[in-house]
Amino acid sequence: MEDRQNDIKNVIMDTKNLPTLPGVIIRLNALSEDEKSTIHEMANIVTSDQVLSARILRLANSPSYGFNRVSTISNAMILLGVNVVKSLALSSTFLEIMEKNSLGLWEHSLGVAAAANLIARKLALPECEEISTAALLHDIGRIVIGLKCSKESEQIIQLAKEKQIYLSEAEMQVLGTDHAEIGGWLAKSWFLPEKLSDPISFHHDVTLSTNHRIKVSVVQMADVLVKASGFGDSGDIYVPRIQQEAWDALGMTELLLSEIIEELEEKLVDVKNFSIEMQA
Amino acid sequence: MQMIPLHLAAEGMVLAREVCRNDSSSTVPVCGKNVVITGELIRRFDLMGIRSLYVKGRPIVQEGEPTLEAILKDLDCRFDKVRNDSLTMKVHEIYTAFLKRSMGDDCGR
Repeated sequence: MEDRQNDIKNVIMDTKNLPTLPGVIIRLNALSEDEKSTIHEMANIVTSDQVLSARILRLANSPSYGFNRVSTISNAMILLGVNVVKSLALSSTFLEIMEKNSLGLWEHSLGVAAAANLIARKLALPECEEISTAALLHDIGRIVIGLKCSKESEQIIQLAKEKQIYLSEAEMQVLGTDHAEIGGWLAKSWFLPEKLSDPISFHHDVTLSTNHRIKVSVVQMADVLVKASGFGDSGDIYVPRIQQEAWDALGMTELLLSEIIEELEEKLVDVKNFSIEMQA
Repeated sequence: MQMIPLHLAAEGMVLAREVCRNDSSSTVPVCGKNVVITGELIRRFDLMGIRSLYVKGRPIVQEGEPTLEAILKDLDCRFDKVRNDSLTMKVHEIYTAFLKRSMGDDCGR
């Protein structure tokens, strides 16, 4: 099984078939490492790519982030933080593929980001925007599987349906790994910070995260709520389990959960409208 | 909450969201949330070119819309794998109560 896993890892991490990262992102990465660089300089690099800038601004103004007046990349960098803008820029290619080819997964991801943002704000957690970004990207491994192992991807969906199992269980049976681990590999290869890569890698098991347990727990809870509501299509038919550790890490109560669910249902109407607008 | 075209709005329905003019670049609302709709209000919205509203509950049965029973059945199916997990089943209970409240007898139909 380990050999199979390594083969899959090699196939997946072979960057020849992965969409290439625009030069702008490589320059942005280099600049963000430089302590002397300013927000203005970084914003100038991003705005040199108009399509990328437009995508970042549309996402920053989406219900998944809760802002509605981010009009410039400099604004987005100040409000969302350089790391969030960087990760959105990095993943914009994947998000575009998701939006065009996996509408259900795209809507699920937007829904989970909106839910995570709502939970984080209700709990007054710091770095709400980074939690939204982690939630938006939490299933990015599924896109990688679809891109790099399209035959196996169909097998996985078929197997999950036939055996009535979770998609991640079917992924383990077919690939020897699952979308969470694959997403984690990708996040590491993109040098995303742990606070973004941990929720991607561990959203099905929060106990594996030691440094970012709260962020991972928010994403797990958000994923469960959106699957429960039936919004979008993550590929999974069944709602996964909320871990007691996640519930405890968030200090969740039934009353708070009721309030979140009620507000989430309203937010998901906005998310749907946003998704329709993006498709137009 | 349900989005309905203005021509289906009726007296007694309650606005779930602020109403803003479609043609305005600003987002200044012309009517606030929680306001009970009257005939006069509907006429004014019409004159302002407003075409749809968000109202509380689900007062209008739209064509092809699943029934409450069908929605609850789907919800049950989605929770099949966590039936014995009391923590996750709390989400099921809250959703069931929410759906019954917003689509059941007291939803304003």
